[in-house]
Amino acid sequence: MHVPLPVPGLKIGASIHQRCYPAKTKDMIKIDLPRTRVQDWKETMLKKMAEVLDKYRSVRLYLDICVKCGACADKCPFFLGTGDPKNMPVARADLLRKVYKRYFTLGGKVWGRANEAEELNEAVLAEWFTYFYQCSECRRCSVFCPYGIDTAEITIAAREIMAAAGIATKYVTEVVAKVYDTGNNLGIWAPAWKDNCTFLEEDLKEIEGVDIKFPVDAVGAEILLVPPSADNFANTDTMIGYAKMFHAAGISWTTSTYCNEGGNFGLFLDYANLKKVNNRILEAARQLKVKKVYWGE
Amino acid sequence: MGMKFLFIFLPYLSFGIFLGGVLYRFWRWARTPVPLRIVTTPAPKTRLGVAWRIAGDVLWFPSLFKGDKPLWVAGLLFHLFLWLVLLRHLRYFLYPVPGWVAAVQTPGLYAGYLIPLPLIFLFARRLLAERILYISILGDYFALFLLLTLTINGILLEAFFRAYIVDVKALILGLVHFQPIVPDVHWLFTLHFLLAMVLLIYFPFGKLMHSGGIFLSPARNQRANFEQSFTNPWDYPVAYNRENLFPPEKYAQDLAESEGGK
Repeated sequence: MHVPLPVPGLKIGASIHQRCYPAKTKDMIKIDLPRTRVQDWKETMLKKMAEVLDKYRSVRLYLDICVKCGACADKCPFFLGTGDPKNMPVARADLLRKVYKRYFTLGGKVWGRANEAEELNEAVLAEWFTYFYQCSECRRCSVFCPYGIDTAEITIAAREIMAAAGIATKYVTEVVAKVYDTGNNLGIWAPAWKDNCTFLEEDLKEIEGVDIKFPVDAVGAEILLVPPSADNFANTDTMIGYAKMFHAAGISWTTSTYCNEGGNFGLFLDYANLKKVNNRILEAARQLKVKKVYWGE
Repeated sequence: MGMKFLFIFLPYLSFGIFLGGVLYRFWRWARTPVPLRIVTTPAPKTRLGVAWRIAGDVLWFPSLFKGDKPLWVAGLLFHLFLWLVLLRHLRYFLYPVPGWVAAVQTPGLYAGYLIPLPLIFLFARRLLAERILYISILGDYFALFLLLTLTINGILLEAFFRAYIVDVKALILGLVHFQPIVPDVHWLFTLHFLLAMVLLIYFPFGKLMHSGGIFLSPARNQRANFEQSFTNPWDYPVAYNRENLFPPEKYAQDLAESEGGK
């Protein structure tokens, strides 16, 4: 039965303290971002913002046409969970919109605060860092918005703008750096990946009495399987399921120790890293000369 | 002098701002690329399906129906009434009046009497609903206030202080044919006329542009043709910062060691 979640009353600032840890220099270096927040962060961010506005119609259009009808307000899981008004999708987008208005629109330049325009300053940045990381890009707001305004696009843009100035979170940057080092989010080194596969082979032999292989880096296999790395580490039943399925279907397959991650944390950071993580799938597929890629998360 | 400004200069100025502003906004959106496929699913697979989807978004607001029923009713009624009222006003611009404009006069009249109701609901909602009050800005109140004044003013003109229709039509047709005149009309009509000019001038700058933006919204006007490749017009090559990563030789060495141990 469908039971709608109760909509909380507004609790101003309820989740302002739930702020992510800032990124570490060692990770920022690996993923090609400024080591720490740059000196002229404001100018850098505004420059990046101008670039983003010219590259993504979604961002410009969605900042322009929102009528603040509030249809999205009670749809965001982060708002339903915290009651913090800044977690309403429209209010989250307003964090970016007020800066956009101040620097990029006539109405904002002329009317200023009366037209919700606001300077980009330390306080606004703190809000950005807090609330743009309290969005999971689920896009539920876009389903209910009469114009399809997708707050995920706004969030992605804001994170990209912050990343350009060296502002990012430890969790996301660490994970992306791990992908570049080990090929996966969990940081499973190639030998460990292979070892886990051997272990699962033995397990399967014990349970089913059949020799079922978990090929790793097998050149010329038909299919490259790119699973979430947790399947090799924690959700091993899923990994066993893949092997059984391929065995039953009689399809040759392999995993790659260069790219064994179906998830892409670049989405939470910026376009360049998003692409770099995705490119690994193509690179691995070419290296191993497979015909198809099975990829999921 | 003041009347000349109001009835001759201002109409052309405001229409120019309206037209130029709307075209500029469209041009700005249209020339900004759409780098990724971000359509909200479930989405149509064909262009015809997209046309139908957008038609729905423009005419009967299915997303709002899913999300907020009272707002859907009020929004739908307001927009329906607004269309009828606007169509009714065409009779001042056209001579001779075509049959279909004549046919829309009575529905337009009732729509005009009723249009303040959804507007008042939308206004009250902004003030009374906690969440909506929080997100509302001056522009939201201004647009509602403007429309409300304009429509109540129109009702007063229709019901109590009727403007002499021949003068009104002479004024509008004069403007349309670039032979403007200054009419002798009731001050309520002058106010109505002025408010309409303000609306025209405000239109391209604020949120009223949602009416055009919906057609270009990537989450709605894209197709779910995921089997076809999608090209990002500004895509660029990316490279790793390799010297900072775990060295590949060390990687190969680790692997060899693990296999040697077996």
